[in-house]
Amino acid sequence: MTRHASTVTPDLHVPQTVQEAVELLADGAFEVLAGGTWVMRGGIRGEGYADGYVLISKLPDLTRLGWSDQSLVIGAAVTHAQLATFLTGHTRLTGLATAAAKSANPAIRRAATVGGNLSTVDFPAADLVPALLALDAQVSILDVDGERVLDLVDYLASRTTLSPRTLLTHVTVTVPPGFTAQERLTMRSAGDYPVGIVSTNVRIGADGLVEDATIAVGSVEPVARLWPSLASALIGHPLDSAFAMRMAHDLKGEFNARDGIEAAGWYRLQVLPELVARTFRTLEREADLR
Amino acid sequence: MTTELTVNGNLRRVHNPPMTPLARVLREDLHLTGTKLACGEGFCGSCTVFVDGDAKASCLIALGTVAGSSVRTVESMASPRGPLAPVQQAMKDMDAVQCGMCFPGVLASLTALLDEVSHPDRQQVEGALVGNICRCTGYERIVQAVLGIDRTANPADQTGAGA
Amino acid sequence: MSDSIGKNHPRRDAEDKLRGRTMFTVDTDTGLMLHAALRRSEVPSGRIVSMNLEPARQMPGVRAVVSAPDAPGMYGVMVADHPLFAVDEIRYYGEPLAAVAAETIEQAQAAAEAIEVIIEERPPLLTMAEALAHGAPELHPDWRDYELLAGEGARKGNVSWESTVVRGDVDGAFARDDVTIVETLFRSGRQNQTPLEPRAVIAHVERDRVVITTSTQFPWSVKSGVARMLGIQPADVRVLVPAVGGGFGMKWEMSLEPFAALLARDSGQPVKLVNSRQEEMQTALCRENAEIRIRSAVTASGEIVGREGFVLLDCGAYSGEQPFLASMVTHTLFGSYKLGSARLVSQAIYTNTPPNGAFRACCGTYCVAALERHTDEICAQLDFDRYEFRRQNVLGDGDLGPTGDVFEGDVLGPMLEEMVALRERSTRHQPANDRLLYGTSTTVGTWFILVGPSAATVNLNPDGTATLVTAGVEIGSGSTMQAIPQIVADVLQIPISDVTVREADTDAGGYDGGVGGGRTTVSLGAAGSRAAAEVKRKMLEVAADMLEAAPGDLKLEDGNVVVDGIPSLSVTIKEVAAHAQSNGGPISGSGSFTGTGNVGMVGCAAGHYIGALDLPVFAVHECDVAVDRDTGHVTVLDYRVVQDVGRAINPRAILGQVQGGVIQGLGYALHEEVTFDHLGKSHQQGFETYRVPLAGDAVPVQLEVYEGAPSMGPLGVKGAGEVPILNVAAAVSCAVADAIGRTVSEIPLTPPRVLGLILERDGADVELPHVATVWRDAVVADAQQLLAVAPR
Repeated sequence: MTRHASTVTPDLHVPQTVQEAVELLADGAFEVLAGGTWVMRGGIRGEGYADGYVLISKLPDLTRLGWSDQSLVIGAAVTHAQLATFLTGHTRLTGLATAAAKSANPAIRRAATVGGNLSTVDFPAADLVPALLALDAQVSILDVDGERVLDLVDYLASRTTLSPRTLLTHVTVTVPPGFTAQERLTMRSAGDYPVGIVSTNVRIGADGLVEDATIAVGSVEPVARLWPSLASALIGHPLDSAFAMRMAHDLKGEFNARDGIEAAGWYRLQVLPELVARTFRTLEREADLR
Repeated sequence: MTTELTVNGNLRRVHNPPMTPLARVLREDLHLTGTKLACGEGFCGSCTVFVDGDAKASCLIALGTVAGSSVRTVESMASPRGPLAPVQQAMKDMDAVQCGMCFPGVLASLTALLDEVSHPDRQQVEGALVGNICRCTGYERIVQAVLGIDRTANPADQTGAGA
Repeated sequence: MSDSIGKNHPRRDAEDKLRGRTMFTVDTDTGLMLHAALRRSEVPSGRIVSMNLEPARQMPGVRAVVSAPDAPGMYGVMVADHPLFAVDEIRYYGEPLAAVAAETIEQAQAAAEAIEVIIEERPPLLTMAEALAHGAPELHPDWRDYELLAGEGARKGNVSWESTVVRGDVDGAFARDDVTIVETLFRSGRQNQTPLEPRAVIAHVERDRVVITTSTQFPWSVKSGVARMLGIQPADVRVLVPAVGGGFGMKWEMSLEPFAALLARDSGQPVKLVNSRQEEMQTALCRENAEIRIRSAVTASGEIVGREGFVLLDCGAYSGEQPFLASMVTHTLFGSYKLGSARLVSQAIYTNTPPNGAFRACCGTYCVAALERHTDEICAQLDFDRYEFRRQNVLGDGDLGPTGDVFEGDVLGPMLEEMVALRERSTRHQPANDRLLYGTSTTVGTWFILVGPSAATVNLNPDGTATLVTAGVEIGSGSTMQAIPQIVADVLQIPISDVTVREADTDAGGYDGGVGGGRTTVSLGAAGSRAAAEVKRKMLEVAADMLEAAPGDLKLEDGNVVVDGIPSLSVTIKEVAAHAQSNGGPISGSGSFTGTGNVGMVGCAAGHYIGALDLPVFAVHECDVAVDRDTGHVTVLDYRVVQDVGRAINPRAILGQVQGGVIQGLGYALHEEVTFDHLGKSHQQGFETYRVPLAGDAVPVQLEVYEGAPSMGPLGVKGAGEVPILNVAAAVSCAVADAIGRTVSEIPLTPPRVLGLILERDGADVELPHVATVWRDAVVADAQQLLAVAPR
């Protein structure tokens, strides 16, 4: 796709329906604009602009946020702030709520959307991605040929090859039977992109042992991913942050951690077990409360 | 291309390209220079304004996306000859202001906080300011000023720019 | 009585700033104004083979294009080594090559982009180690021919300036058999001031003069600098300064002003030039990075009989402030403590990185950090109590400073005792859990007031109010808008609100040495006080005529002139002012001030712009930290300051400065560092990666002001705004070292760096093989000569 320097002024198209949006995207010349928090920095960051943008943030289909059967449906244009507010009090979605409520800063959370967070390829530190991975979320994408539903894992793997003519419309999350927690590590107390994110989802059996676990890691590698070996290692054991930390320490070598200006790869790896432990400390507290 | 929007209660028509950042339109076309534009990336918060009631970084808002919207800036927090809004007055009383560049954005973020939480604690105030860089004050006076606002005085007057 | 002094008066500029009404330079729009953009180098080192400006001139909206031939001179602080545009040689990424003015900023940027430049690139020298390596090319092959603007120092190759100190028999001290020798290394990063208002300027031509509205701390320096670069008389440059949106030292030197002036002259229209945040990240005149080796010979009884220091300051591509700061290394790294003998070499080094400048307490921050880490290491190795060792060794009344100057008054010792009292009455927080390592520190520091020339005029207006006219700028600290009018109001015994402050204008205010270096309240305060005293004298003469009394029998009280002892015999100041209108004319007064120029002991210091301190300022800081052993995060639990302010004119305003300065120092100590890629391009292109403290990173500072130290300032005042940052890196480094039980030799102490120390990772320890170990070998001056003239 052609990129233009900051001095070129792209067009903005404002479709009234999702179908119209998909048709505008169909010839590949335009890109999606939702919250704008990534696109609008393009000029400053030397990333330039597309020929035109298709504004999707006001499409009613994409701003829905609510329950459908046992599933939570999150429209792509829902903002982090809206999601955080909606999830207040939903104790089984603490991990996702934390991700939505702690990312970036308040002004950005009021603009940045769920769809933007999931579809920005160059953003390893996206907070919602590990949270949704840990929840086995599914994403729905639409193009002129129709709608498809993908597991988030598959969507992430296909983002770079997926046609730009595709529009992510919503995310579907099934409420887990257990508890979830998310931890992010910033260099300051807050306000910078996390150098590591861990999102944990566990189900505890009647015997107090971990029956099932899903663990996702963000910002350590260029794309967030699941950590199945750690999850397996924890199943059948009590909910124990010290044990989880030891297991994470033993298995962290599976990651190929990225170097960045804010932290080198070794550091991201080094703190990973502690982040795992922190999610488990939160889960221990949640479990104790019940 | 012409865009219509309401700014501080007045209908305005501007003629910038649709992807022009709102902050530039406010400053350069509408001469509302209370809104600052210090980083352009949503990290410093000096451009924070209210758009349809939400405090957002106006450097990252494309003009075309706010057609028909209502924008409120620091200039409308208090009437020009009237008293300061309580949060402004608190900053003045606490001698919080130094160079002053960050305050328009700081005031917007704090107004949004006070709209949501009537008696914020220290952690909530600090959380509300995560996106506002102040290079002069070391923040303490700003935090103290918010914590000290008497919210019982006249609840009707408590919000400033909150649309 | 006037209540001007010692009271918490509010700032007169606060309400406009809160209403969004204050017009900073960056907000100013003159109408019919052109916008300018600079074409900057995108290589760090190279030769300009050719540059074609024609494509830019053909671009739409373009009204002027200028480059090196339009401004042939060189400027600088001590050495004139800095051309406005790169001339043949490119020495840093971001160096200006040409400037364009056009009708819109987009047109100006596009035209700047269209300029065709062919550059023969050279391998850059990005570090001081590379610049000092054997056989390294010289960044300035013509350094011998450069004009010296101030002082004289040894220079050679990539050593742009050298300051040395020799006092007493250092070799003898180190050779004593009753001493322990302790050596400490320290390395500090480069810190960007990042004021929220970037550097910005509007220039236009009026009656054949260049009129400049700019965001500067030092209008008179802009006036002379622009004149120099444009080849015109300083009298033909007028500089006006509206409210400045933060400076912190970056706006001390001239920067963008000559570009706008050249473009305004060529186009005949007002031209506005504003740095983008990215340009500010790349080209800010940062606090320089530095590398230090310091060693001391200390007896078992805790006497420091000899101290030796080797310091490298990175001045970047042009020398700028660093030759001046090389001499300030002496007074900070070798300050605070009694030394039996001393030998120091500090050198400002050219590298292919953006030029550095001044930043609040400048080199003092890292010199105090190195010194206090060294002091703690001495205590650790000789098993001294960290507090008692300091109490025993800090400079007191009559003690000799680093260059043999005699210190006046016991200040640091009593301040240390004040700190104990402050600590004991403060609430101290404990670490939240047992995974956190706890550490604490006590540090002392010496800085100075950059006294120097200032002029002020006070006009008594017909309505009995006064107008204060100076070239002092309000950069946010409150000194110009708050402190100086308080001093004037006190002399005239009128309400502070009756003193109007004229914004800085070099056509109105007399010469002033700039707002910085803690000097405003002292120098401008003294000038303002003297100007007000002249007004007072004249008022009393007029009132004496009105009251038929002798001037000596009159006094000022609450806006009246009163016959002493007869309160019923009085006239109001307003009546005096009105009477003067028709009897001798309106009353005004002028005042001026400058420092004494202390130089220290003859033969002790070479290459020093400041041989000894006219007006030292002291600070004692303590810090309690919790270090997360799993992540390396440092949390500051409590922070305590005892600061020498001379006399507190406005205690609340001082606390505001201390709180702000300490938090800026926490950024320096913990997070902020400008680093470069292989092209000399800053990794930190914005606030995403250049991490200044946010609200959650701040901690409330406990302050005790220390009053009564000797001061030449008006009412005994010392500047209070610069010093608060001085000890912060020291206090944090020492507390972190205490917490983790490892040597801390580097700032910022980012979580990865601290975790690396805790884990004893390879490369975590600082090694500085290029920082000399033998003084005679290190100096580029004639070492034998320096030793021969030094006092024994």
